[in-house]
Amino acid sequence: MKTRPVPLSKSDLMKVESPARYVGGEFNAVIKEEMLEELEKTGKTSYLRFAFCFPDIYEIGMSNLALQILYHVLNDDPHIGCERAFSPWMDMDALLREKNIALYSQETKTPLCDFDVLGFTLGYEMCYTNVLQMMDLGKIPLLSKDRGEEDPLICCGGPCAYNIEPMADFFDIAMMGEGEEMILEMCEKIREYKLSKETDHPISRAQLLKNLDAIEGLYIPSLYEVTYRKKDEVKAGEPYGALLHPLSGDVKTTIKKRIIKDLDTCSYPTAPVVSNLRVVHDRSYLEVFRGCIRGCRFCQAGFIYRPVREKSVEVLCEQGRLLEKNTGYDEMGLLSLATSDYTHFPELAENLLSTFEGHHTSLSLPSLRLDSFSLDLMEKVQSTRKSGLTFAPEAGTQRLRDVINKNIKEEDIFSALRLAFMGGWSTVKLYFMLGLPTETDEDVLGIADLAKRIEKLYFDIGRETGRKMRRLDITVSTSLFIPKPFTPFQWEKQDVKEELIRKQRLLKDNLRSRNIRYAWHDFDSSVWEVVLARGDRRLSPVLLEGYKSGLYFDAWDDHFQYGKWLEILEKHGLSIEDFSREFSEDEALPWDHISVGVNKKFLLSERHQAYSETTTPSCREHCSGCGAASFGVGECFSKRNAMKENKEVLENAAE
Amino acid sequence: MLQSEREKMMTMQPHQTAYVQRCTFTRSGATTFLGHLDLMTCFERAARRAELPILYSQGYNPRPMMVFALPLGVGIETTSDYLDVSLNRPYDPEKFVSEMNTFLPLGLRILSSKAIPEPKESIMSIVTTAFYRFEAKGIREAMKKAFDQESLMVTKIAKGKEKQTDIRPLLLSLSQAPSDDPDTVDFYACAGSEKNVRPDLLLQSLTRYCGMNEEVAENTRVVRMGLFSGEYPRIIPISEVKVRPVEAKPAEKTETASGENTENASGENTENEGR
Repeated sequence: MKTRPVPLSKSDLMKVESPARYVGGEFNAVIKEEMLEELEKTGKTSYLRFAFCFPDIYEIGMSNLALQILYHVLNDDPHIGCERAFSPWMDMDALLREKNIALYSQETKTPLCDFDVLGFTLGYEMCYTNVLQMMDLGKIPLLSKDRGEEDPLICCGGPCAYNIEPMADFFDIAMMGEGEEMILEMCEKIREYKLSKETDHPISRAQLLKNLDAIEGLYIPSLYEVTYRKKDEVKAGEPYGALLHPLSGDVKTTIKKRIIKDLDTCSYPTAPVVSNLRVVHDRSYLEVFRGCIRGCRFCQAGFIYRPVREKSVEVLCEQGRLLEKNTGYDEMGLLSLATSDYTHFPELAENLLSTFEGHHTSLSLPSLRLDSFSLDLMEKVQSTRKSGLTFAPEAGTQRLRDVINKNIKEEDIFSALRLAFMGGWSTVKLYFMLGLPTETDEDVLGIADLAKRIEKLYFDIGRETGRKMRRLDITVSTSLFIPKPFTPFQWEKQDVKEELIRKQRLLKDNLRSRNIRYAWHDFDSSVWEVVLARGDRRLSPVLLEGYKSGLYFDAWDDHFQYGKWLEILEKHGLSIEDFSREFSEDEALPWDHISVGVNKKFLLSERHQAYSETTTPSCREHCSGCGAASFGVGECFSKRNAMKENKEVLENAAE
Repeated sequence: MLQSEREKMMTMQPHQTAYVQRCTFTRSGATTFLGHLDLMTCFERAARRAELPILYSQGYNPRPMMVFALPLGVGIETTSDYLDVSLNRPYDPEKFVSEMNTFLPLGLRILSSKAIPEPKESIMSIVTTAFYRFEAKGIREAMKKAFDQESLMVTKIAKGKEKQTDIRPLLLSLSQAPSDDPDTVDFYACAGSEKNVRPDLLLQSLTRYCGMNEEVAENTRVVRMGLFSGEYPRIIPISEVKVRPVEAKPAEKTETASGENTENASGENTENEGR
C-alpha cells in the first residue's frame, strides 16, 4: 500500500493535540491503488472520488456506524474510491488556515476540493456549522449556488437530513433514509456526469440535479423555493406556514425515505476501519435491528426508522464472529434502539458469548429496556467489574409516562431494581426529561419521589437480608424536552427558559440526599437545538454568518456561544420564539414535503392520544396503522398479513 | 452467579506457564504519532486479530501480557525496539513474526522474534542505554557543543510542576559515523526506568545552550536505533541478553490451593498472584 505524506511538517503536527488524528494509516482502511496509479499517470481518474465527511473530531467520527457502513458500501464498488475526513479541532483548524493548507482526506491526504462528492453524515443539529468549517477548510464554496461544474457535489444523510431546511443553501443533495442502496444509485449518476465531461456531450450540473431528483429518496433543495406566510397574512382557509413550491413541473413534490427491505442480505461492515488512537466508543458494533416497536411520543428515532426489521440470529452470529476476528476489539456492542426488544435476544446473546469464550471479549448492551431486564444476562455479559445500571423512565409520574407513551410501569422498575440490589449492584443512573407537554409540578416532584423510594428500597433490602451494603450511588439526570420533526410532539412548544429553570430548582431542592446526585443539561444549547431541529430556510444565512464569526463546534459546551447566536438570529429578523412556539396543526411545516412513511394524520392522532393520557400499544402487540407498513416489509407488516385483519388500517397505510 | 463468586473464580486461576516471544519491532510513518498507550493497544489488537494464543493477566480487568522495553514517546521512530509477548503455549518465532505482521497497521513491523522462557527480570528492568539518531540542519555541530557542556539543565514538567534537571551526565557518547553528514548525528544516552534521556528534553537543551533554532529543533527527526543492557560501554543489545528463567512456582502450593479449603486458598492466591 502506498502512503502519501501529510502536508504538514513534523513540528506542526507535534504542536496539535493528538496528532494521530490527522495522519491516517488505520487497519482496514481502503486505498484504491489503481486509482492512484491512474492519477499519477494522467492527473485524472475514472473513479468517482467520494469523501465521507464527519462534522466533528476524529474520535467521535470513528465511533460512528453510518461512516463504517457507507465507507465499505462505497469502496466495494469497483468504480468508487471513498476516503474519510473529519472536522479538525481548533488548534489544527488554526494551523491549516495559517499555512493555507486545504483540509485533506485520511487515506491519500487529498484536499477535499479535489473530490467529486463530499458526503456528510448529520447525527445532531449542533454540528451544522462544522459542515461549513470542513467545506471552507477544504476550499469549497459554501453556497450551492456559488459552486460550478468543477466543484464537488455536497450531499448529506442521517437523522438530521429529514429536516435539512436550515442547511438548504449549502447542500446540493440530501438523502432520506437508509443509504446503502440509494448512495450507489446517486454515485452512478454523478460518475456519469463526471465521465461526460470528457465527451462531446457533457451533462450540465443543472441536468445532473434533475437526474438525481428522479432517484427515490434524494431531495435536491435548490429545485424548490419556500415562502413563509403567517396565518394573518393569508385569507381564511388558504394555506399558511412554510410553503414549498417546486421551481418546475417535473420535480417530485414528496420525497419518500428509502429503507433496506432485507437486512440479512444487505452488506454490513464486518471489517471496519480500526482506529490506532483510542476513540469514544472503542469497540466493534453489531447492528441487530432497525426501527423500534415502542413509539415513545417524544422520540424521533422511534418514528423515522420504522418499520421494525430484524436480522436473523444466524446472520448476526456470523457477523459477530467476523467482527471480533477482523478488528481485534475486546468489546462488542449490540446496536439498536432497544436491544432487548430483539425477538431472539437470549439466543443471540448466548451464542455470541460462547463464540467469545476464552477470548476475553465482552459484550456491551446499551439500551436494554427496564421492563425486560434480565439480571442473569447482565451477570453473564459483564466479564469484568459491575458498572452502573441505567434506566430511563423519562417522566416522574405514571400519568406523564402515559402521555409520552413510555410504557414502563413502576412495579417493573422496582422488581428489576430489587433483583439488581440483591445481586450486589449499587450504582443506578436515572434519566428524565423536563418540560414535557402537560408537565406539572407534581410530575417534577414525582422524579424526586421515585429516586427517594429507590434509595429506601436499597436500605430495606439491606435490613431484610442483614447484609452489609455498599455505598449507594443514585444519579438523577434531566435533559430538556426538544420537540422534533416527525414525532407526535412536533407541534409542541418548548418551555421558556425561566420556566425550565424554575422546574429544575424545584427538583434540586427536593433531591437532597447524600446518596443522590443530580445532573442536568444545559438550557441554552437545548434552546438552540430546537431552533435548528424545527428550523427552515431562513436559518441558512444565520448559520453562514455564525460560521463566519467563528461559531462552530457548537456541540462542545465550551465552544457554544448562545449569546452570539441570539444576536445573529435577531439581526436576521428572527427570534427563538419563531421556532420554539407551538406550531398550529393546520399550518404547513418546513418538513411536510418529506415522507418517513409514518403519516401526519397518525402523528396528529397520537398527539391527541397524549392529551387524553392514553397509551398506544407497541408494534408487536398491535398495529396502530402509522403508515410505515406501506414499505411492504417489517414486523408489523408481516404480522398484519398473517392475521389478515384490520383491513381498514391497511388501506390507510397505503395512502 | 453473584459478584462475589465471580471474583473468586477470577482470582482462583492457577499460575499459567508463559511462553514468551521477545521481539524486535520498528515504527515509522503514521504510527509515529501515537502515544505509548495507543501503541500498546495497536499491538494487542493485532495479536487478537492474528488469533495468537496470548496469555492474559489475571484479576478483574485481564489484559494481554505484553511488556515493552521502553516507552516510545509521540513523534519518535524506531528501527529496533523490544517487546515481550506472553503466550500460553510454545510458538514458532518465525510464524509469530509473519502472523503479527499480517495484522499490524501500516508503520509497525516486527523484524524478528525469539522464544525465551518466562524471564526472571522484566524486559523493562534490564534496559540501560539507548542509541539514537537525530536528523536536522546542523545537528552534528549542536550535539558536539552539548557534549562539551558541563551541565545541561532542562525544564521537565511532571505532575503539573516544573522541575529542573541536568541531563548532561546522562549523555554517554557521540558516535563518529556518519561524520561526513553535518545534518545527522548518532549518540548513546542513558535509558530505562532509573536514568533516562527524553529526546524532546535533549532538543530543548540544544536550543537553550547550543544555539539551535527552535523550529529546526522541533522538526528534528528522532529515530531510536537500539536499546541495550549492561553498564556502558560494556553493553549488549536487548535481543542478545541471556535470559534467566523465573524460578518454577512451588507446584505443591497450587495443588493445595485448589484442594480442601477453597475459601482460604483463594484468599492466599489473590495475595500471591494478583497483578
